[in-house]
Amino acid sequence: MKNSERLTKAWYGVLVLLMALGGWAIIERIRVGLVATNLTSETTWGAWVAFYIFFVGLSVGTFLLSTMFYVFKIEHYEKIGRDALLVSIISMVVALCFILLDLGRMERFWHTFRYWNFTSMLAWEVRFYVIYIGLLIAELYLSMRQDLIRVAKGTGWQAALARFLTFGSTDLSEESKKRDHKWLKILGSIGIPIAIFGVLGGEGMLFAGVKARPFWNSGLLPVILVVSALVASIALLLVFYVIRTKLMGREVDKEMVKSLAGLLAFFLLIEAGMEFFEFFVGAYGLQDTELATIETIFQGPFSWLFWGIQIFLGVVVPLFIFFNPRLKESVNAITLAAILVVIGILGVRFNIVVPPLIVPVLQGLPWGYYYPSPVEWLSSLGIVAFGLFLYTVAIKALPIDTVEELREGK
Amino acid sequence: MSADKKWAMVIDLQKCIGCDACTVACKAENRTPPGVTYNIVITEERGTFPSVTRVHVPRPCMQCDRPPCVQVCPVKATYKMENGITAIDYDRCIGCRYCIISCPYGARYFDFGLDYSQEMVGCNEVQAPEYGVDRGKREKGKSPIGNVRKCTFCYHRLLRGEEPACVEVCPGDARYFGDLNDPESVVSKLAASPRAFVLKEEMGTKPRVIYLK
Ligand code: SF4
Ligand code: SF4
Repeated sequence: MKNSERLTKAWYGVLVLLMALGGWAIIERIRVGLVATNLTSETTWGAWVAFYIFFVGLSVGTFLLSTMFYVFKIEHYEKIGRDALLVSIISMVVALCFILLDLGRMERFWHTFRYWNFTSMLAWEVRFYVIYIGLLIAELYLSMRQDLIRVAKGTGWQAALARFLTFGSTDLSEESKKRDHKWLKILGSIGIPIAIFGVLGGEGMLFAGVKARPFWNSGLLPVILVVSALVASIALLLVFYVIRTKLMGREVDKEMVKSLAGLLAFFLLIEAGMEFFEFFVGAYGLQDTELATIETIFQGPFSWLFWGIQIFLGVVVPLFIFFNPRLKESVNAITLAAILVVIGILGVRFNIVVPPLIVPVLQGLPWGYYYPSPVEWLSSLGIVAFGLFLYTVAIKALPIDTVEELREGK
Repeated sequence: MSADKKWAMVIDLQKCIGCDACTVACKAENRTPPGVTYNIVITEERGTFPSVTRVHVPRPCMQCDRPPCVQVCPVKATYKMENGITAIDYDRCIGCRYCIISCPYGARYFDFGLDYSQEMVGCNEVQAPEYGVDRGKREKGKSPIGNVRKCTFCYHRLLRGEEPACVEVCPGDARYFGDLNDPESVVSKLAASPRAFVLKEEMGTKPRVIYLK
């Protein structure tokens, strides 16, 4: 126990340090404006937008997984269903932090609610986010309600919080449990289309709808976004589950990890296939801008991001691990593969956002160039650390694991 | 000025000598900061040696009639005015830069808040009264800093009955400005010429800047 306490302290220490650095960077960004970034009028979206779509994807992916677990009653995975909802909410918070930071005039963010341009994907997105976040919170609450009541009976600040959250209700009857489950199902069924078509599909349309950038202007892009979001989410949930269980000194459910790894490999293969056709169809059209964009990805100054991270670390190595008869039996190897997959998808997000903004829209206009500035790096690290901090606090404060398991752990 | 005017510009590429006077006049007139150039001249080399020619293509905002920038703006900060000009409401724009991304002509620029104070005394004392709004001094934290900017067809000059600065200055007389609603206007006649074309027609943007081959 001593050891784990020291670990917890170190973990919080690292997070606080990163958040402090990020805080400095954010203050700097607010003080001087977007000159603190390396963005230009050519490459006008960069790291923040890439992180933003990464986390929106993560949110939708984890949400879809958790609802699938609930709606289809996949008991096998229910252990991580609640965890998935929590990750989903926090990802959304993180994503919104990123996009807020990216606005040239942050103080006017409320304009997006006040004025509504019906033809703008971005305007729709903002509204879907609100509905979606409300739905997520309702779902998490309902899935926890029974356990909250149980926790409320105890002592300590967690119990006090639980008492507050349950509004004094102590209804633990079978009936109320059924009611909760019914509502979970209803919310889940409303939530799935909203998440797929509204939140993440809209996110894809944000890019796919831009005909000025032929690389984006493809019907497959929103689908790739959804599938790769699922990939990243399965991987991240797997990683969180393994690390958390190990840290708490509990036994890892190896069968579940292995079957998650199978699911992960399956979606990863689908995603790789889609990417292949996305590039193939794009290149086959021989359109100048499209070719120049693909060339930028394959051979530009950041081609290592594509070949090294997106393809080698993000696809080749994990697939090797998942299909190697020895490695696929090892929880550690699977966890490593999952971490690599998440990093790979981050590469995918950067390569979706940046390269099409490097190639000029008209021949003769200047080419863009972009590499995140220190302020962008530090603020991004800080926001991600903030998300992890929220996650760590939340799993301490709320009954994210089912109560029986908590008892076992103690 | 009556509301039924529909402004348009015609640029004769045979007459353009690529001197960039329009670019300079525009910067002076609109007092645009570093990195913001409403108008530029793109020079292309065509053909292979020895039969090579250079073509200069001035590029302002096309004031599209079906503008993707207006389509994507989440807050309607970018909109079409009755007179055909695509305008930006600096007091509404949130600086998301979605419009920059979606403009097929690269005509939009973000105002990062830079200025020429290193090169020029008092450069921030006055701003051009773009869209007819006098904003006084250029100051940190005040619009249009943090907003997206682009060519306005010199709307503030039109209000005074003057032509856009680039049209007035052009030494080759390559630019024509006028009302497309008036079939007798020079621009209407030139726009009907067989030499007339628009940039990236396949984008379906319906530009109000028309070129002559
Ligand atoms: S040229 Fe670009 S900025 Fe100008 S109206 Fe067309 S799309 Fe909008
Ligand atoms: S930057 Fe301003 S004008 Fe452009 S889309 Fe965003 S809010 Fe609209």
